[in-house]
Amino acid sequence: MEDYKFLFKVVLVGNAGVGKTCLVRRFTQGLFPPGQGATIGVDFMIKTVEVENEKVKLQIWDTAGQERFRSITQSYYRSAHALILVYDISCQPTFDCLPDWLREIEEYASNKVLRILVGNKIDREDREIPTHVGEDFAQRHGMYFLETSAKEAENVERLFMEIAAELMEVSENILFKSILLLW
Amino acid sequence: MFGCCWCCSALRPRYKRLVDNIFPVNPQDGLIKNNMEKLTFYSLSSPEKLDRIGEYLFQRASRDIYRRRNGFVVIAMEAMDQLLVACHAQTLNLFIESFLKMVQKLLESTDPQLQILATQSFVRFANIEEDTPSYHTRYDFFVSKYSAMCHSNNDDSIIRKQIRLAGIQGLQGVVRKTLSDDLVENIWEPVHMDKIVPSLLYVDKEHAMPDSPTEERSDPPQFAETCMRELIGRASFGHIRCVIRPVLRHLDNHQLWVPNYFAIHTFRIIMFSIQSQYSYTVVEALMTHLDDHSKSSPKIRTSIADTLSKIISIAAGESVGPSVLEIINSLLSHLRVSVTRNQSSSNDEQLYQEALINALGEFANHLPDYQKIEIMMFIMSKVPYSQPDRIVSVGKGDVLLQSILLKSLLKVGTKYQTIHLNTTFPPSFLDPLLRMSLAADAEMRLLVQKIFHTLIDRHRNIMKLAKPTVNMVELGLVIEKASRPDVIFIRKHGPEIYLALYESLELSSNTVENVESIYTTLALLAIELASEETILELLRLVLSLQDLALTSGQISLSLKFNLHATVISLLVLISYVCNITVLMDYAEKVVDARRKDSPHLLPDLQSQYDAALTSRLTPAVLVDQTVVSECLKGVGLDSGKLQQGSGYSSNSLQHRHSWVDSAGRNSLADINSGGQELDSGGSSPSVQKKLPGEELTFESMKRILTENNNNYIVEEEKRMQLSQFFRNAPFQDLVSKTQPKHDVLQSKLSEIFNTLSVEPRNTVSTTGQQTDAKPSQTPSYEIHFPELFVY
Ligand SMILES: Nc1nc2c(ncn2[C@@H]2O[C@H](COP(=O)(O)OP(=O)(O)O)[C@@H](O)[C@H]2O)c(=O)[nH]1
Ligand SMILES: [Mg+2]
Repeated sequence: MEDYKFLFKVVLVGNAGVGKTCLVRRFTQGLFPPGQGATIGVDFMIKTVEVENEKVKLQIWDTAGQERFRSITQSYYRSAHALILVYDISCQPTFDCLPDWLREIEEYASNKVLRILVGNKIDREDREIPTHVGEDFAQRHGMYFLETSAKEAENVERLFMEIAAELMEVSENILFKSILLLW
Repeated sequence: MFGCCWCCSALRPRYKRLVDNIFPVNPQDGLIKNNMEKLTFYSLSSPEKLDRIGEYLFQRASRDIYRRRNGFVVIAMEAMDQLLVACHAQTLNLFIESFLKMVQKLLESTDPQLQILATQSFVRFANIEEDTPSYHTRYDFFVSKYSAMCHSNNDDSIIRKQIRLAGIQGLQGVVRKTLSDDLVENIWEPVHMDKIVPSLLYVDKEHAMPDSPTEERSDPPQFAETCMRELIGRASFGHIRCVIRPVLRHLDNHQLWVPNYFAIHTFRIIMFSIQSQYSYTVVEALMTHLDDHSKSSPKIRTSIADTLSKIISIAAGESVGPSVLEIINSLLSHLRVSVTRNQSSSNDEQLYQEALINALGEFANHLPDYQKIEIMMFIMSKVPYSQPDRIVSVGKGDVLLQSILLKSLLKVGTKYQTIHLNTTFPPSFLDPLLRMSLAADAEMRLLVQKIFHTLIDRHRNIMKLAKPTVNMVELGLVIEKASRPDVIFIRKHGPEIYLALYESLELSSNTVENVESIYTTLALLAIELASEETILELLRLVLSLQDLALTSGQISLSLKFNLHATVISLLVLISYVCNITVLMDYAEKVVDARRKDSPHLLPDLQSQYDAALTSRLTPAVLVDQTVVSECLKGVGLDSGKLQQGSGYSSNSLQHRHSWVDSAGRNSLADINSGGQELDSGGSSPSVQKKLPGEELTFESMKRILTENNNNYIVEEEKRMQLSQFFRNAPFQDLVSKTQPKHDVLQSKLSEIFNTLSVEPRNTVSTTGQQTDAKPSQTPSYEIHFPELFVY
């Protein structure tokens, strides 16, 4: 059971309250926590999944959205394989902050990092950001895009599984290439 | 690796059976001690099996974690701990990989207790010195996880504290482990430092609240500080920035500059644990950070500068060579930037400038005295001033900069303890200072006098002499006889100093404070240089000041009264200091006369006087030169010098322009030695020219300084010989000796007179020249000038 072929680090970022922690909890523990404090600094969950019969271990780092934890959260970008940037589809300000987050990602993350834009809380009635607006933004910035609901478990599994599959493909390609190079 | 069927097989290898046997049926019963001993014995006798034992224990634990049978996990961990301790150093590396996998596994669980347990094991491991370090070991995960744990937000405050503590201890373990061996992961990489440093600071900050001073030593901030110290203490030169950068970023990101107590706290820790030869790099880093914040609010900059001033003294002790002047230079350029960029200085901006000046003072305070002089000269060399022989006025920004730099100079000066005046005032420092004492701005002049006060006063008399007074006895002055080098100094430089002070008193923009401050300078000089040899020159100045008050058409009436009060105060002081009773009595008589007739000629100085008062005074309330001369003669002093000076222009007391006269003479000497177009070498302004601006290094500074001193000594010797010669040689000899040069001198003189007469009267007492250059004086020039020019 400890046998895994791949280990990927995934880091979630985005404004406080958009549902990052809920997404992680939903995925790793299968639950939607009723009430919980805001994340402080960084938190971390682990889940091993299977992609094409290969075991993939996902280290999921959940970061605090507040300004005052920036110095610690930024330091986790660098080692990330994938960055999930989350906003709340029912809260325009969280969407408006995306460029700021991107700037930070540019500055601190590796440029090879896989980036995914996630609009969370699609179960809510009071949507403020239409799907296509998010989609557009993602496209313009070379990101994958998905809308989720941590509450209704919608697209959460898929989000992480797609990431695992994508990362695996990338690294197998690299593996393959380096083998070719060796030849 | 192994299938499940192996577990049920009876053919299991021995090591597996031994491992299985340490687990009780019921986890509450704990590790079965007997069997653990057997396992330990086995691993010691067959060390080659260690890696498999470790791997198997790890697998069991992984399964138990998955099944949430934490009791068994704890037992497995305990067994691993025991094996780790029992293992011989050579075989340890076989075991470490599975041991660390086990620790990681536990850390990955969501159970805080397991995480804490794993950390304790890890710390134990970290304290073991490995013989053959496992180079492949990666600590990346541990750094990330332990940093995260430092930020734990567990709802339960007790658990939260435990986890944070574990996080710190874990980080400390990683640091120890990786620092002890260079080949292992490079902990100084930003990937790691950017996590470790903010985590330590976070814990330190969150818990280091003033309300918990009694807490036991095992509290998280205590550990965080210890860890920080350890980290910084181990940092080599190239690594310091790796630590400082995240510190600065943390303080920025968390808005911890205003207020700055935490920043100061942190930087103190850094300074006290850093290898001392590197301490100035921390100062440098803070300065650079100040640059980065040049657009930030003055409050933030003030806080940074303040932090700087709080730690800079620690660096000063260790700073040698170029770093000293670099630091000073950098502080000065920050000041310059602040001044030039913010012409209309806001209050906050001024606070910032003050913080910088404080930093400068703090820094200088901890340098040896000879370096303080260098720094003062360096600062002086940065002061923009208008040339005395030109009317180019300095701009508004320059005036601000002047005053800021003079304030800095004053700050450094207060930290300096003069021993001999000639070391404190090398000509390249004294000259520009005297020049600045004539600045157009009255406040600036005040600053210059304050600089003089702090540098001249060696016996803490400043406060006692802050204002003119005629009651000397009450002051309790501390007086010591002047030393030989001091007497030599004042003989050489007295005239130029007195002249500058005289001219400074002449300025119509003087406030009462200005006059008082010049009084203080003169009074301090009198006390510090109390000697019969020097008192005459001083008395000449005093009498000239009275003349000025009587005859000047430029200065206001109240300034004149101020001068009279200053004159009598100085007379009382001088007679008291030199203990000349007759002079004391005479001074007392004048004081009494004034008390009766004209109390406005006595201290305290006022800025406004009764409008009915006039400048006409009876002789009784004035100081009479002849009486003074008599007094001096009475005690065997050669009052001829006094006479000689006054008799310079004319014999009559009424027309006594003695000071102005000798001032004129000295200003000529001044111009001659100072003007580069004339052929006098080694004079101070040219020394100043030598200073290569920004490229200034400590060495070059030192060279110039010693060069200069040598010059000075040689010069001084020559001068002594010369004056000896002039004193003893018959007059005719003198005339013939100086004859050949005489023509040249004469032509140069007239040259100077010509330039002087077209210059507007702004500096260097040109009035004196014009009014007193009478034909009758020519002989005296012939006698006086050779001495002044030849040496
Ligand atoms: N309706 C709805 N609420 C959500 C969803 N995800 C999170 N929330 C709520 O949003 C709030 C913030 O969630 P949290 O995960 O702590 O956000 P984080 O600060 O990004 O970690 C909580 O009150 C959650 O209950 C979602 O998918 N739908
Ligand atoms: Mg959160």
